[in-house]
Amino acid sequence: MTCAVAPLVASISYVRVAVHDLDAAARFASEAFGLQRVAEHDGEIAFRSDDRFRTLSLIAASAGASSIGVEIQDEATLERLALELDAAGFPVRAASSEECVGRYVEAAAIAQDGSGNTIDLVVRPHHSGRRYFPSRDAGIVRFHGAALRTTDHRRDLAFWTMLGARVSDWVGDIAYLQIDEWHHRIALYPAKRNGLLYAAFEVEALDQIMQNSYFMQERQIKILQGPGRQSASQQIFLHVQGPDGIIFSYVNGMAALGGKPRLARQFPRTTESLCNWGSVSNDVPELSAESA
Amino acid sequence: MIQLKDVSYVRLGSPDLESAETFATSCLGLEIAERGKKTLYLRSDDRAHTLCYSEGDPSQQTVGFEIEDEDDLQKAAATLEALDHPVHVGSADEAEQRKVKAFIGFRDPTGNHIELVVRPERRGRRYFATRDAGITGFSHIGLNSTDPVRDERFWTQVCNARVSDRIGDIPLMRVNAIHHTIALVRAPAAGIQHINHQVESNDDVLRSYYFLNEKRVPIVFGPGRHPTSGARFLYFKGPDDMIFEYSVGVDEIEDEATHRPRQFGFEPSSFCMWGARPAGMTLPDGNS
Repeated sequence: MTCAVAPLVASISYVRVAVHDLDAAARFASEAFGLQRVAEHDGEIAFRSDDRFRTLSLIAASAGASSIGVEIQDEATLERLALELDAAGFPVRAASSEECVGRYVEAAAIAQDGSGNTIDLVVRPHHSGRRYFPSRDAGIVRFHGAALRTTDHRRDLAFWTMLGARVSDWVGDIAYLQIDEWHHRIALYPAKRNGLLYAAFEVEALDQIMQNSYFMQERQIKILQGPGRQSASQQIFLHVQGPDGIIFSYVNGMAALGGKPRLARQFPRTTESLCNWGSVSNDVPELSAESA
Repeated sequence: MIQLKDVSYVRLGSPDLESAETFATSCLGLEIAERGKKTLYLRSDDRAHTLCYSEGDPSQQTVGFEIEDEDDLQKAAATLEALDHPVHVGSADEAEQRKVKAFIGFRDPTGNHIELVVRPERRGRRYFATRDAGITGFSHIGLNSTDPVRDERFWTQVCNARVSDRIGDIPLMRVNAIHHTIALVRAPAAGIQHINHQVESNDDVLRSYYFLNEKRVPIVFGPGRHPTSGARFLYFKGPDDMIFEYSVGVDEIEDEATHRPRQFGFEPSSFCMWGARPAGMTLPDGNS
């Protein structure tokens, strides 16, 4: 399908990641990964990666499930979208004002995709007047996007299609979803369970991907895959394992898709399709050539 | 002054030409130009050959530099003899073995065997390898030096090399616009410390990293990036413990007249700005 209408999704705004050990995850996010810890509210710890107020929140697993914040054009679009999702059978409800405060947004609806992943549809997420200033030079320039585990990829695709996303390419049944000029901001990986697979933060250049790779190796922090380069999107990546099985990724160099809309290309689910440099993931079935 | 134009070839002795051939074609990614009974000529670019193995002792290592013409070759021989470097004038047979019009051989102050050559052969057919390593050509060598300060004087005063940058006392020297063609490396004896081939892109460096790992070729340094030349690199070990390097993105010296060598401290980050540490490869000792 083509993207004839203005996309409803303005950006991928944040990830809220549920963890069992908040302190360990918070230390990893700031000291190892290089995000800036900015606020703590009601047991949620917020981190910045760019000029937005925050792009990562860590929440206690007991307080709820992980979610992705998706910025919707405006409140009228949000209301219309909520009705459409409801009509299509996706659970959706308006967020309380308290939930909006905790999410640093002016309005929100909380929806679930076909796999039961929580998607926060938000309007007017907060930005910050102060520039991003992390505690270590990891070279992060912005939060780039996220990947979700999907147990029902047809339903999940229907969900994202209603939000105006389109598939830019397939690797097996892994779907890369485009919402702006970049190849993808969201990726759906077939899995045995739902949940966030990884949150991707863009760095300045290959230099920072490689510097972070050696930084992690020296500290014996596990690299789950990479340095590598996705064949379809040309994006260079390094998937790093944090506490509680969370995966944060450094990325750079994704292809922009200009010009005429094209059909999504199908790549077979092989090592070369997932990484044209030849890196493999032995520990995360969703990232490996054998499908989960 | 001896005007070196470019590095031309490396000649290596090896007791096992079969292993050398297997490595050169299936790992390194060179093209066989010619296979003799006791010789193996390999291509990496549009030259007829840039690496030659001949059956023999691996300590036999020679590097050839191209100079302008036979007049310059004679002047170079006179210059070297005046400085008490004995000169061997290559016979027609020897020149043919090297695929050059004429050459002379001598030893640098450390004792490295150097040849100056005139009119090295090119080939009309382009280089086409059996493995896609992305090689664009043979580019430079690391050369052992028992006294880098003395040898820098030889290469820059007797020859036309210019220092582009230094790490400690180790000079990286150019003979043309490319950041360096000769990198001196402090070592106890003469020898070639590494042989560099340029590749097309970062992708090739990283692809080879995974490829060579899978082939169980020892990676001795990298993937990394030199802050001096800006090149992304990978060093790995070949037959007879010779170290080969792939790199991409070597700077060119834009203004020959105003370039001043930068001084880098002798520390790991001067060799790799990404944080790679050498493993199974000694970094040159920068203190004299």
